Amino acid sequence: MSENLYKNTEMMDKLDEFLLDIQKPARYIGGEVGSVIKDKSKVDVRFAFCFPDTYEIGMSHLGMKILYGLKNAVPNYWCERVFMPLPDMEEQMRRRGIPLYALESLDPIREFDFIGFTIQYELCYTTILAMLDLAGLPVLAEERTALTPLVVGGGPCVCNAEPLCDFFDLFIVGDGEEVNLELMRLMERCKKENASKREFLERAAQIEGIYVPSLYKVEYNADGTVSKITAEEPAPQTVTKRIVRDFDKAYFPENFVVPFCDIVHNRAVVEVLRGCIRGCRFCQAGYIYRPFREKSKGTILGQTRCLCENTGYDEVSLSSLSTSDYKDIEGLLKTLTDYTSKNGINLSLPSLRVDRFSEEVLREISDVRKSGLTFAPEAGSQRLRDVINKNVTEQNVLDSVKIASEGGYSSVKLYFMLGLPTETEKDIEGIFDLAKAVIGQLTSDRKKGRSPSVSVSVSTFIPKPFTPFEFEPQASEEEIRSKQKHLMEYASDKRITISRSKYDVSLLEAVLARADRRVGRAIYLAWKKGCRLDGWDEFFDIRKWREAFAECGLEMSFYANRRREYDEVAPWSHINMLISREFLISENRKAHEGVTTPNCREKCSDCGVIKNVGGEICRAIR
Amino acid sequence: MSEVRSAVPSVNTRVFFSKTGRAKYISHLDLNRVMQRAIRRAKLPVWYTEGYSPHMYVQFMLPLSLGQEGVREAMDFRLLEDMDYGEVTARLNEALPLDIRAVEIAAPVMKNTDITTAEYEITADIDREKFLEFAQSEKIIVEKKTKKGTSEVDLKPLITELSVGESITLRLPAGNDFNINPALLLEAYRAASGDEPRSVRIIRTKILCADGSEFA
Repeated sequence: MSENLYKNTEMMDKLDEFLLDIQKPARYIGGEVGSVIKDKSKVDVRFAFCFPDTYEIGMSHLGMKILYGLKNAVPNYWCERVFMPLPDMEEQMRRRGIPLYALESLDPIREFDFIGFTIQYELCYTTILAMLDLAGLPVLAEERTALTPLVVGGGPCVCNAEPLCDFFDLFIVGDGEEVNLELMRLMERCKKENASKREFLERAAQIEGIYVPSLYKVEYNADGTVSKITAEEPAPQTVTKRIVRDFDKAYFPENFVVPFCDIVHNRAVVEVLRGCIRGCRFCQAGYIYRPFREKSKGTILGQTRCLCENTGYDEVSLSSLSTSDYKDIEGLLKTLTDYTSKNGINLSLPSLRVDRFSEEVLREISDVRKSGLTFAPEAGSQRLRDVINKNVTEQNVLDSVKIASEGGYSSVKLYFMLGLPTETEKDIEGIFDLAKAVIGQLTSDRKKGRSPSVSVSVSTFIPKPFTPFEFEPQASEEEIRSKQKHLMEYASDKRITISRSKYDVSLLEAVLARADRRVGRAIYLAWKKGCRLDGWDEFFDIRKWREAFAECGLEMSFYANRRREYDEVAPWSHINMLISREFLISENRKAHEGVTTPNCREKCSDCGVIKNVGGEICRAIR
Repeated sequence: MSEVRSAVPSVNTRVFFSKTGRAKYISHLDLNRVMQRAIRRAKLPVWYTEGYSPHMYVQFMLPLSLGQEGVREAMDFRLLEDMDYGEVTARLNEALPLDIRAVEIAAPVMKNTDITTAEYEITADIDREKFLEFAQSEKIIVEKKTKKGTSEVDLKPLITELSVGESITLRLPAGNDFNINPALLLEAYRAASGDEPRSVRIIRTKILCADGSEFA
C-alpha cells in the first residue's frame, strides 16, 4: 500500500511508541501531500533544511518552500524539512535517544551533507544551537572536523552573521535561488574527490555570496569596537550578496507541501515582487532585499493557478514587502480575480500601503473575507513620520479608512513604534490622536451589530544593520517605560485598545542584530542555561541572557543603547548588501533634519544598487 | 445527471477509504481539510453549500479517534456530474496522501443513524493470560468523557464478539449517539492488571448496523 513511504521503518516504530502522548503529533511524522520522497541510493547530496522554530511557523515560510522545490528539482539532490520540536517532544526524543530527524526520510540529520538554517529573526539563534545539539552534533563549527555535515545559514539575519560565526561553517548572503545549487554542486564534486572540509570552504569562499567566517580575522579597539576585519586567502575582502537578475524567470515552486494540521499561514503564496522602493529608514527588509524587481502579470497568474491546482488550497495570498507598489496593481488584481472568483478561491493581500489603498483595489478584494484591516503609520506625528521616511500622511490613513469603512470594515488595527530617533512627548500623543481620528471615520455596522473599534499595537524601535538607523541607540528600558506610561495616561477612549511590547524582548533583538563575534559566546552560554524558542513568550527568559552576558564580560547596552559614530567599523562592514555606507550616513543625517527622501519611483536616491550592479537592474521601477 | 438511488437525499456518493500508518496521527478535524483539498486537487465536481460563505459539503459517517487506524471508513458528498466510480477512485487516490486510500465508491445505501456497532482489531505487546483474566471480570468500569463531563460505564455488557488470539478482536457500540472508544478497554486493563500494553495498534475493521450487516 504505502510501504514505499517508509524509508525508515525503524524510526517510525520508535515514534509510534510515544507520539500519541505528544501534542499535535501530525507535525512530527511527515508524509504530507507535496513532500518529496526520493530513492536514497540515487541521491548524491542530501540537504536538511532547518527552520529554527516550530512546524506551524516554519511551514508558513515562503523562502523554505522555494528552496525546497529548487533543490528537489535536481534528481540527485534531496532536500528535506526539519523543525524545532516543542518541549514535550524534545524531552521524549532525548529520553529515548532519538536524534533530530528530517520529516521526509525520518533519517537523523547528522547523516546529511548539509544542515542548512534559514535565519529569519534574531530570537531564533539559541534554537539553532538546540537543534544542532538534538541532532547529536557539536554546536561549535571548529569541533566538527569532517566535510559533512556542513552547517550553513541564510536569510536576512545573515547580513550581520557575526554573533553566529562560532556555530556555522558558512553563510549564504542574498537571494538563494542560484547560489544554493552552486553550493550543492561543489559538495557533489568535493565528496567525489574526498576533499577536506578546509578545501571545501576555501573553494566555497570564492563563490559570490558565500561568506566563510573562519577565513576572516576580527580585531578590536580598547573600547570594544571593531578595529579591523581581514580576509585570509582565498576569501574576498568583501562578501557581496547574491541577487537574482531575471526575477521573472527565477525558480518558483509548482507545488507546496500541504500540511495535515493547521499552520499559521495555511494557503498558497505567490511572490509578486522582491525589494522595496520606499526607503522607510527603520526597515531592514526595505534595504537588504533591494533591488526592486517585479514578476510579470502572466507569470504571477501562471504560478497562482499552478499552485492552487496542485495544492488544493482555496486561498492564495500575494507576498511582497509592499504589494500595492506593483506597477500595474489594478491590472494584476483584475487578472487574478478573473481566475480566483471563477474557481472559488479567496485572494488575500497582506501588504498594502495606505496611500495606494484605492477604491478599485478594495473592490477587487471585496470578495475576500472582511475581518480586520491593518495599517502601519509607525509614528504618531507627521514630523516623526518624516524623520523615519514613512511617507504616509494622516489624510492618507483617514481616506483609506473611510473607503474601507464604506466597504464594510468596522475594526482597524494600527501599528506604531516607540523610541524612534528624535521622538518627543508630542509625537507619542500623536499616536492616540491618530487612533481617535481613525475611529471617527468608522461607521457602525448595525446589521451585524458591530460597533467600530481600533486596536493600537505599540512596539519598541529596534535599530538594524544596513538601515540609516544602524547608528542609532535603542531607547533604554527607563525611557521606554516612561514613554509607554505617557501614552497610557494620555489615551482615554474605551473604543481604542492599546497593547505594548515587552522591552526585554526588543532589547535582546537589538543586541543580537548589531552584535559582533564575541557575542557568540553569550549565545552559547544562554543556550547552555536552557534558552531556546526565545521568540515565544512562554520560553523567553531574559534573566538567563543577562547572566550569560555577564559571564562573558559583555554589556548588552554596548550593543543596543550606544550611538555609533559614522566612522566606526561596523562588525558587518566586510559584507556588501549593495547599499552604500555613504547613502546610509546621508539618510541618517536627513532623518535628524526631518528631511524625507522620495521613493525610488519618484527619484533615484543613489542607494548604491546601481553603482554596484548597474542601472538595468532597477528597470521594474520605471 | 441521472438520479442515483441514495439513502441520504443531500448526497449521492459514498467513498469508503482506509486511513492507516502515519495517517492515524491526522485528527478528525484535520481529516476534513485533507479530504476537501484532495477533492479539489482531483478536480471532482462536488456540490458546495450555498449562502454567505459557500463550502464543500463532505460528511463523515463515523469519526475515528486520533491514533487509531481504519480500513473501511466512510464519507459522503454529492457529485454534480455523472462519473465512472472507477475514475473517481483513481483521481482521489492520485490526490490523497499515501496513507489514505479510497477503496470503494458506491451510492449510499444506509444512513449514518443506522450505524450501531464497530469491530476493532487490537494488537499490542500484552500479557495474554492477564488480559484473558481481565476480560472475564464481572464488570469493566471505565470513565467515559461525555459532553457534560464524565460518566461511569460498564464495558462488560457492551463488548460483543470478543476473541483473543494473536490479536484481540472485539465489537463495541458505535455511532453518533453512543460510541465507545476501544482505547478505554486498554486503559481499564492497565489500571486493573498493572501491565503496560506496548506497541499498541488499534484498527477499526468494520462499521456495522443493528442487524449485523456491514454499513453500506
